[in-house]
Amino acid sequence: MADLTLTNLTPTPKTTIRAAADTAAAAELGLTFGSSERRDGDLVVRIRPDEWLVIGSTATVDALDLSGFASRIDTTHSRLLFRLTGDLAAKVMEKVCSLDFADHMTPNGACAGASVAKTTCDIVRDDVDRVPSYLVLCDTSFRDYLRGAIEDAMTEFVGA
Amino acid sequence: MLLVPCPNCGPRNAADLTYRGESHARPDPNTATREEWRTYLYLRDNPSGWLRESWYCSSGCRTHFQIERHTFTGELREPLLPGSKTGGES
Ligand SMILES: [Zn+2]
Repeated sequence: MADLTLTNLTPTPKTTIRAAADTAAAAELGLTFGSSERRDGDLVVRIRPDEWLVIGSTATVDALDLSGFASRIDTTHSRLLFRLTGDLAAKVMEKVCSLDFADHMTPNGACAGASVAKTTCDIVRDDVDRVPSYLVLCDTSFRDYLRGAIEDAMTEFVGA
Repeated sequence: MLLVPCPNCGPRNAADLTYRGESHARPDPNTATREEWRTYLYLRDNPSGWLRESWYCSSGCRTHFQIERHTFTGELREPLLPGSKTGGES
């Protein structure tokens, strides 16, 4: 049984790329909306129909052709990144978010924008050694509030 | 909880979306009379029955879309993305 942990990974390099469907960047990044994939150690996430997140390094982004209606923004310091891991992580998420975190609805690799404790967040399921794990991204200004809200939801399952 | 089927995200809690109200075609600004503008801006049908309305998927895919909602039963049907003529999968 893997205990619940909440870690702050905010310093991890994060880039947001917005690209129209007909751009080279959109073709290179690919994926279907709502899915993610690891590429050379970076996690590439298609978080919206026209928006991707790249978490890990800037190597994938540096290699992108950003010609046309495409842009990149370094969101490392403007977006916080929490990782919630543990066998009961889905139960914790369900306390603070209205997404369905059942395996068939939110399998490993799935992502979505959703409100978490009433803050607008991006969520990526990114299991660690087969233990359920969720990345939560949000504006940095919500850091203390959001950490408190998730920790509060965790207390119910500690020792369970 | 009202489950709103976003054409991109699928069924989502209405709290994750923003309600934008009844949908009406915008009159042509070159030819519309003052009465037509006033009607477009301020007057609402508010029926008891099916109503075509706009929603914004503010927490999810950040897309505006239209949907039909039955104001009496709360049923929702035919979510439409801008520019599409047929309902998307819910
Ligand atoms: Zn949506």
